[in-house]
Amino acid sequence: MSTESGTATGSESTSSSINLTSVRAIARKDFQDAVRSWMFWGLSVFFFVLLVAVTGTISYFGEDIAAEGATTEVLVLFVSQITRLVIPLIALILGWKAIAGERETGSIKILLSLPHSRKDVLLGKLIGRSAVLSLSLVVGFVLAAVIVAVLLGGFDVVDYFSLLLMAIVYGIAYTSIAVSLSSLTRSTTIAGAAMFGIFILFYVVWNAIQSVFQLLMNRGTIEGVSYTTEGMGLDGTTEQITRERLPDWALFIDMIDPGNAFQNTITFLGSFGGEDMGTTYPADWFANGVPFYLENWFSFVILLLWIVVPIAIALYRFDRVDL
Amino acid sequence: MPAITVDSLTKSYGQELALDDLSFQVEEGEVFGFLGPNGAGKSTTINVILDFIRPTNGRVEVLGMNAQAHSREIRSRTGVLPEGVETYDRLTARQHLEFAIDSKDTDDDPRELLERVGLADAIDKKAGGYSKGMSQRLMLAMALVGEPDLLILDEPSTGLDPNGAREMREIVREENARGATVFFSSHIMEQVEAVCDRVGILRDGEMVAVDTVEGLRDSVEGGTSLRVTVDRIDDDALQAVRSLPDVSDAVVEGESPPTLVVQVSGSKTAVLTELEDRGVEVRDFTTREASLEDVFQSYTTGTEVEAR
Repeated sequence: MSTESGTATGSESTSSSINLTSVRAIARKDFQDAVRSWMFWGLSVFFFVLLVAVTGTISYFGEDIAAEGATTEVLVLFVSQITRLVIPLIALILGWKAIAGERETGSIKILLSLPHSRKDVLLGKLIGRSAVLSLSLVVGFVLAAVIVAVLLGGFDVVDYFSLLLMAIVYGIAYTSIAVSLSSLTRSTTIAGAAMFGIFILFYVVWNAIQSVFQLLMNRGTIEGVSYTTEGMGLDGTTEQITRERLPDWALFIDMIDPGNAFQNTITFLGSFGGEDMGTTYPADWFANGVPFYLENWFSFVILLLWIVVPIAIALYRFDRVDL
Repeated sequence: MPAITVDSLTKSYGQELALDDLSFQVEEGEVFGFLGPNGAGKSTTINVILDFIRPTNGRVEVLGMNAQAHSREIRSRTGVLPEGVETYDRLTARQHLEFAIDSKDTDDDPRELLERVGLADAIDKKAGGYSKGMSQRLMLAMALVGEPDLLILDEPSTGLDPNGAREMREIVREENARGATVFFSSHIMEQVEAVCDRVGILRDGEMVAVDTVEGLRDSVEGGTSLRVTVDRIDDDALQAVRSLPDVSDAVVEGESPPTLVVQVSGSKTAVLTELEDRGVEVRDFTTREASLEDVFQSYTTGTEVEAR
């Protein structure tokens, strides 16, 4: 049922135009529709509870940490890790049926009977669902912030809200992936399988890739990069030790994962350094300076690409299929 | 300028041919009934007209514009009631209409439109709780937004009770009187004959007949059946009747009273005169027109019409 034949005829262009009024109308309708989904709010409540519970716990035991003057960093670290894991789940479930569901029930014909182009529909969907997800994140983060503020008496607002901002960008990236995948098929079953595939890819496979690289390097299949660092010798004196690390390209592959990109990006806006977050490579690794594509700011570019590339592919392809 | 021009339209899905070199025109200002059994290709044709699917071959023009290149302009002047479509469960009728009004950038009043289709009571109820008929009324209301020049109604009577179907035809008449062209698909002849100026009959992806309702009735061989009660059966007379130019068939239906049934497309008097001339006394006769349903049956199944 999911085979599609889109045949362009003659020289007629099948590429549709984008009309901002249409995009807005669709985004508005889609927001109204998706914001009433029980599934979505169930997941969001799960997210709030997790966030509030963890931040509450940290804040409660926070005095010890506060003594070290690092509360906000610990808070941001924990919250970012929860966010990193939960946002893809919410976004994929929220975007799963965005297009495939409408094609399956035929309601996409309601959208496209009106003077909207297919591109308008995709963009409107992406914006509508991103807005719903952002609403959920704002509510969750503010709730958690109130609890933390009450228990802790204060924290670094700028750092916390820069985390929120990045979480929203991260959420939009996954929404873009979800909506785009959803536009590739008219079967919600296949779309669901694709969402699951993405989930497995970035939760399991991507981490495994790094282990595989490490293994291949140890076996000599991949040539590592040697670097020297200071270490403690057997006699207790400091001496230079030569070690091997993965080559730059292998490190870059690790950075492509939207989750890693998100965590690297947090330090980009906040006041804390990458060392605290564990997202910066040891300085010894790069004798001649860190290549630009391994710097934290480039992770932000990667995150933006995760928004732009999937939807661009979907925009191109969705114009060319039979509904 | 025709409202819809379909020119040598072919659509195939792999080996399967859904539309085979289909050509027809819908004139501006008319109500055109697009008739055919389920699976004949009606929805496929409408899907190409609305650019939901792309033709394998051929060309479609709507309101003088290419259906693919100018789809947005076409749809901004067209109201569509799609077939087999679910409304948005979580949105109310008002929200559905506001979306359509927003999309077409008009200033219609949702309540007025819902009153026209008899759904004003449910204006703030979510469509998830609607019956099939209510959803159909809601989508008809959406199609009416912005006084479109062209209305495309795909199986509009689906899910409607006879009263609802009658109200729907009333709206079609009103819209047509306002100046709109109506393209109306159905698999039931009865629903189109009351309201359509012309009817096109589709069978296996090909147009087998396009004509006015009257023209279709006349076009079918054996359009009228003549039942004659006579005083006796005479084989020679029966042969003579059969050989009349306008008679396609004549059979003995019964012996008591002796009754003949004659399929005739022209003059009925000729049949009666012929019988009288052969010395057979005509005691009584009745005629029955072939119904359009019979005509439709004949076109879509390939069997001859036998008015009974």
